[in-house]
Amino acid sequence: MKRETDYGYEIKPVYTPSDIEGLEYQSDLGDPGSFPYTRGYHPNGYRSRMWTQRMTGGLGSSKDANKALKQYRKMGQTGGMCVISDRVFSCCIDPDHPLGRSEAGVLGWPGCSLLEFEELMEDIPLTGQSITLLGSSAPTALRLAYVVALAEKRGDDVSTVHGSVLESPFENFFGQTDVQPFDLNMKLFLDAAEYVVRNKIRMRASVISQHFQESGGNNAQALAIMLSMYKEICGLLVDERELDFDDVALVPYELVSIGSRFFEEVAKVRAVRRMWAKMAKEHFKAKKEKSCQLLIAVHTSGRTMTYQQPLNNIARCAIQTLAGAMVGCSALDNATMDNAYAEPSPLAARMSLNTQHIVAVETGVADVVDPLAGSYFVENLTNKVEEEAYKILHEIDEMGGLIAALDQGYVQKMLTQEADKKFQEIDSKERLVVGVNHLAIPEEEDDFEIPIQEVETNDSEAIARRMENWKKTRDMPLLNKCIDQLHTDAKKGDRFNLMPSIVEAVKAYGTAGEVMGVIRHARGLSYDPFNMIECPFELN
Amino acid sequence: MNKGTGIKVIVSMIGLDGHTTGGEVISILLRNAGFEVVYLGVNQTPEMIIDAAIQEDVDAIGISSHAANYSQIEALVDLAKENNVSDVPIICGGNIPPRQIEKLLAKGIAKVFIPGSKGDEIVDYLVSNSRGANAASAAKTSQAG
Repeated sequence: MKRETDYGYEIKPVYTPSDIEGLEYQSDLGDPGSFPYTRGYHPNGYRSRMWTQRMTGGLGSSKDANKALKQYRKMGQTGGMCVISDRVFSCCIDPDHPLGRSEAGVLGWPGCSLLEFEELMEDIPLTGQSITLLGSSAPTALRLAYVVALAEKRGDDVSTVHGSVLESPFENFFGQTDVQPFDLNMKLFLDAAEYVVRNKIRMRASVISQHFQESGGNNAQALAIMLSMYKEICGLLVDERELDFDDVALVPYELVSIGSRFFEEVAKVRAVRRMWAKMAKEHFKAKKEKSCQLLIAVHTSGRTMTYQQPLNNIARCAIQTLAGAMVGCSALDNATMDNAYAEPSPLAARMSLNTQHIVAVETGVADVVDPLAGSYFVENLTNKVEEEAYKILHEIDEMGGLIAALDQGYVQKMLTQEADKKFQEIDSKERLVVGVNHLAIPEEEDDFEIPIQEVETNDSEAIARRMENWKKTRDMPLLNKCIDQLHTDAKKGDRFNLMPSIVEAVKAYGTAGEVMGVIRHARGLSYDPFNMIECPFELN
Repeated sequence: MNKGTGIKVIVSMIGLDGHTTGGEVISILLRNAGFEVVYLGVNQTPEMIIDAAIQEDVDAIGISSHAANYSQIEALVDLAKENNVSDVPIICGGNIPPRQIEKLLAKGIAKVFIPGSKGDEIVDYLVSNSRGANAASAAKTSQAG
């Protein structure tokens, strides 16, 4: 069995003061609330603000997802909601697209129009909790437009709504893609980010190293990729969109994956805080301390949830949740015992949320900030993962940044090799997974059946048919006018911000497929990324 | 290891499933075992996969599934029948729940590999069950004789 970190650092049997020689408390750690924020941002940690305890929701129709969200609220999820989109909305086509018909609502929320968002949020407040919508980068501008439009309809001042609906375009290279081209996703991401900064909307952008790790990347690589994403995104917003870094720094937040190798995960997140703080100050010349404090949310690792003996996943989830809590995250959503089967059943969701509640109120972990600081082992691991990450980041910088590194296939190759390595390690029992390659039991003895939430094809068809019929009931002259404006604006080049015209099109109930299709058309692409349907609008 | 020499397989995602890691890892596994792998990647419709299977004259089709869009996989089986390529077995791998596995097997999927399946199991299955496996093993036997 391997006794080394996933990035290949061999763990010693014991750690002593010599393993943290040279560590300077003030400059390397600092008290919680002090630069470089290795120990966190709040002097009193969770005593001043508990992490947001939430579950990822979204499955079936918007009305189904609304019911699930209300259920989660009853289970104690009141600080924030987190909804993941289905593959149809993730790709920005519509449920009534030939490929949408069999997949709408299958792996998440089918949020392809403002109507769907209205149904998702029925009787659920937009304010007073964080609104997080995830899934892929392509619908970033649409999700933001939904929030702006619904706030307006409800009479909520949009500046009082907070959360995260933007998603970085880099994730498309990390094992979970949508169908839209990178340059288009990047343009719309920058438009949305610029729009929130200029309009003082407290909507953040998720930068998801979690995808990279869930697809196989190791901790040091994840840190390097994370930092290189920030360098690109913040750099573009500062240089191209001419925004102040101290405003830009409030846009991104990191969604980090936490697995079962407890101390290594704790070290990773502590290193993230220190690395970002230094990058903000040294590279971007941050003037405000707030700009050096990267918001970090945790998702416990879905890839570690096993298909075999799913009850074991409750134990894994608890260990990972404990690590996530111990690192001082601002929000946490955890994987569920049925993660290897389907989207969470109500039972699995309750188990996972309760795991968070147990960690929060029963263990005492939330009473003390950064309780592992000063451990020879944890400080050594924090230094090691940071050191390895800087080596990779340096290589990416040498190539000209992350976009250049992706163009050269460097990151893709790194990720595939690492995913293969992880598979080999389990296949050859170098890494043990209980119930899978260690202490496995025959299938017939694995007889405890957990409830599994499955979606049938009929449900997708119903979502598709509803959209098809509803589309005919819209105010077509208004929609055509908005679509024309969007099309005209989309021809004005990458620096012309499309958010205002997207908001208007969304308010006129233009759908994801329509809005994205029209923008694609204006950019000389086919209206439909799959070339299966024609553009329904007369465009110049 | 060259157990798979002479066997050509497609590895693909299907429909809108954009999760690529499983398919990529399996492609490496099979290539290392001597198989010729035609990796189609993402955004493949059942029609595109069957077209590729016919054009490339493959011996097996492997679908990596992470997005629960099983009706697309069922459509693929129907399409294979319509195009008279039912002799090319279709194999799935991924986080597919037991009830769906039963449905897929009943539909005509040859085999489903769940997460945690061993690399050797997958290789050996394809060696023994790909199109022409019996003929190939007979040929090998006669060559040896």
